[in-house]
Amino acid sequence: MKLLSLTCERFRNLGAVTLDASAGTTVAVGENGQGKTNLLEALYFLATLKPLRASKLVELVQWGQTQARVSARFVLGGAERELSVVVGDGTRTALVDGKKASSFEGYFGGVSVVAFTPDDLQVVKGGPDGRRAFLDRAVFNRAPAYLQESRDYARALKSRNRLLKSQAPAAHLAPWDDTLARLGARVWARRRALLLEVGPRTSEAFERISRSGLEAHVWSAPSGLDLLEFRAKSEDELQQHLLRALDERRGRDLERGFTSSGPHTDDLTLELDGRPAKAFASQGQARALVLAWKVAEIENLQAASGVLPLLLLDDVSSELDPERNAFLMGYLKASGAQVVLTTTDERLVRDAAGTQARWYRVRGGTAEPYSSP
Amino acid sequence: MTPDALNRLVAQLAKLPGIGEKTAQRLAFHLLRAPPELARGLAQSLTEVVDRVRLCSRCFSLTEGEAGAPCGFCTDTRRDDRVLCVVEGIADELALERTREFRGRYHVLHGALSPLEGIGPDQLRIRELLVRLQGQAFEEVIVATNPDVEGEATALYLTRLLKPMGLKVTRLAQGLPMGGDLEYADQATLARALSARRDL
Ligand SMILES: Nc1ncnc2c1ncn2[C@@H]1O[C@H](COP(=O)(O)OP(=O)(O)OP(=O)(O)O)[C@@H](O)[C@H]1O
Ligand SMILES: [Mg+2]
Ligand SMILES: [Zn+2]
Repeated sequence: MKLLSLTCERFRNLGAVTLDASAGTTVAVGENGQGKTNLLEALYFLATLKPLRASKLVELVQWGQTQARVSARFVLGGAERELSVVVGDGTRTALVDGKKASSFEGYFGGVSVVAFTPDDLQVVKGGPDGRRAFLDRAVFNRAPAYLQESRDYARALKSRNRLLKSQAPAAHLAPWDDTLARLGARVWARRRALLLEVGPRTSEAFERISRSGLEAHVWSAPSGLDLLEFRAKSEDELQQHLLRALDERRGRDLERGFTSSGPHTDDLTLELDGRPAKAFASQGQARALVLAWKVAEIENLQAASGVLPLLLLDDVSSELDPERNAFLMGYLKASGAQVVLTTTDERLVRDAAGTQARWYRVRGGTAEPYSSP
Repeated sequence: MTPDALNRLVAQLAKLPGIGEKTAQRLAFHLLRAPPELARGLAQSLTEVVDRVRLCSRCFSLTEGEAGAPCGFCTDTRRDDRVLCVVEGIADELALERTREFRGRYHVLHGALSPLEGIGPDQLRIRELLVRLQGQAFEEVIVATNPDVEGEATALYLTRLLKPMGLKVTRLAQGLPMGGDLEYADQATLARALSARRDL
């Protein structure tokens, strides 16, 4: 997979911007608030149909406009393809070569991106919501079908909560318990499969990055099951497990008006030498852990599909200490991955960018190419 | 100043789904310029549709017969009285019919369970379905609701009701397009889904 170019129209503050991508590193340099993250977000949104930061799709459309459009040319499986996504009044339409994509599989076929943002660095010390979202992004990168599956789960959850709030009778709740249990078991199975692959790789990468002798361990399990029990269960058994939990807590759920069991209540646990990193890791260790996870994710995608994902790095160099930044830059250079990164300070990335890098100056929602510094 | 009658027409047309103010205006001018038979014919068809087309008293599909009389699907003696196919809407029924694979009877629910839109079992033609199944000797019920969250929940709700009645309950095989409606599935896909239906 290779990105050739990216065009943004009326996307956030980017009125009309086109970038020609380097086969190696493309760098967007600019002061604060000029549109660097918006550029990365456009690319991330195009490749995943999920916003990177926004909670509502309308936030992506330039103020005063009704429709945003992002398109990019890729080489996928030897053929040149144009993917586009149009956002307007709360909906998004995905197009392949100008034609509406008939399925998500058709749309995503072959495109894979991994994003790394300053928000990711807060994940270890932040709340469980952030960690779930972090985990889910990785699951989605590995299995695009998860986009629909996790959406379906969220919709079934919202439906059941609505019934709980209106004190619906048991017969009306029952089909939603069934639906939620089936969809929830799928979410669990997807997250488990991802952690089985990425977990050990994270431990190994953490060792390389921190050289501290501490052992990193990342895992997640539904409440009421320990990790071994969770690993041993089939998807059908997970469905039964959730159905039982929903059944047992129905009374309480009716009182509170929301569903208190299921994958939306899980946490992603990150540990160093068996102790929760949230409570005990230093800032530096926490960042090394996130960096290790990202490296693990990239290596895993490559191992699974044979294709290196496109890497999107949003100003992470300024958030990392010099030693970890050096590790990251060295890693990027050695990996041979195609990278699009942003920075306020070109000196932080100059060495890693190499000679075939393309440089863009981002200013007030525009991007102008300039020759390497 | 445009005449009031024209303004009224534009406003009415713009109420139709998928038609904005501009398209409505274009349609109105077209009707005005075309021979008057076009507009008169259209007006007559509109009145006829609302006056004559009703829901079938048995399957809740559309019919033009006398009040209380069942529709063509229900009266066709060549169709199989042992299999009943339950669909969300009339468009789904027509899509299945186009495959020419299904020769049983239909039942139209007129929607799917959707708490988010305030639709529960009482808002669908489910009570009527149960009455019908009690009065007639069906052997199999094919639940052909859409393969989305609401359609699946509706299928599960029906299964819980129908299984205890001793009926064989089946569901269309998956393989329908993502988040897709039956209505838009191509015929080959739909025919395959029908022949590979699974037990519930
Ligand atoms: N929908 C929108 N329409 C127009 N402008 C927007 C929209 N959403 C955000 N912006 C503006 O985009 C600008 C640039 O945002 P962006 O996050 O890309 O900056 P940045 O270059 O990454 O800055 P920093 O270095 O501080 O991270 C902000 O000033 C913001 O007000
Ligand atoms: Mg930024
Ligand atoms: Zn009928």
